[in-house]
Amino acid sequence: MRAEPAKMQAAINITPLVDVVLVLLIIFMVMAPEMRKGPDVNVPNTAKPVHQGDERTQIVVSIDESGGLWIDDKPFTVDHLSEGLRAAVGNEKDPKVVIRGDARLNFNQVRLAMVAIEDAGFQGVGLVAKRARAQGE
Amino acid sequence: MQVSQGGSNLQSEINITPLVDVVLVLLIIFMVVVPILMDGYDVDIPRASGDAVAAQAAEAQVVLSIVPGACNILAPPPGEGLPADCRVTLADEKIPATELPTRVAEILGGRASENRVLFLDVDDRVNYEGVLRIVDLAKSGVENLKIEFVPAH
Repeated sequence: MRAEPAKMQAAINITPLVDVVLVLLIIFMVMAPEMRKGPDVNVPNTAKPVHQGDERTQIVVSIDESGGLWIDDKPFTVDHLSEGLRAAVGNEKDPKVVIRGDARLNFNQVRLAMVAIEDAGFQGVGLVAKRARAQGE
Repeated sequence: MQVSQGGSNLQSEINITPLVDVVLVLLIIFMVVVPILMDGYDVDIPRASGDAVAAQAAEAQVVLSIVPGACNILAPPPGEGLPADCRVTLADEKIPATELPTRVAEILGGRASENRVLFLDVDDRVNYEGVLRIVDLAKSGVENLKIEFVPAH
């Protein structure tokens, strides 16, 4: 038994794996906020917004800085918004619409979108904001 | 015993298996959770089509109006909060925006939660971020406050 080669390593060398995983982790941490569908929107900062739930189960209407309307990543005019919303509902049982409006918009531009959404038959919308402490991101 | 062999069984490497476990779990959490959670405010616009709150008697409605003359938020307010001299009109009374949480609680806190409705009459020119900060202030005063935006002037 003493003749067995004591220096043979039975463990797999996992250092390269750790390297790769750490790099992936950093990539995802950095990229995660930019992975949203749709246009770049500078969402308003407020003190105590409440959860609006999961982005994937909701219809996200974005309003960019110039007032352009988007459902997910497709641009729409205000007249065609309701058609787009009805198409986006699919077979969702209790669809919820949230508005990601840019902080620099006039309130009127957001209200036009809200009226169009309510006219399409939705009760209430969520207005997306982010917590003020996330400002430095 | 083994010592006589020069200590070849002594492991000098750190055991990094737990580290790998933790990092993998963190990776999965970041991949799945971060891009999909959103925060915000639930609001409504009363429409003619049989909206329950819109049917509330006119004298029972509490209206908060925001006009740019009294609150200078035509551009996004800098930093956090609102300009110090920002004034809004709550139930026909001009008050500083900082008093909103207490005043809203005074007026609507006594009502049953389904009747806690605040109607917001916002001027077209007011900045969206400023409006959301006022909504935030109003909501922080009382639980289950419903916000209804008056659709047009």
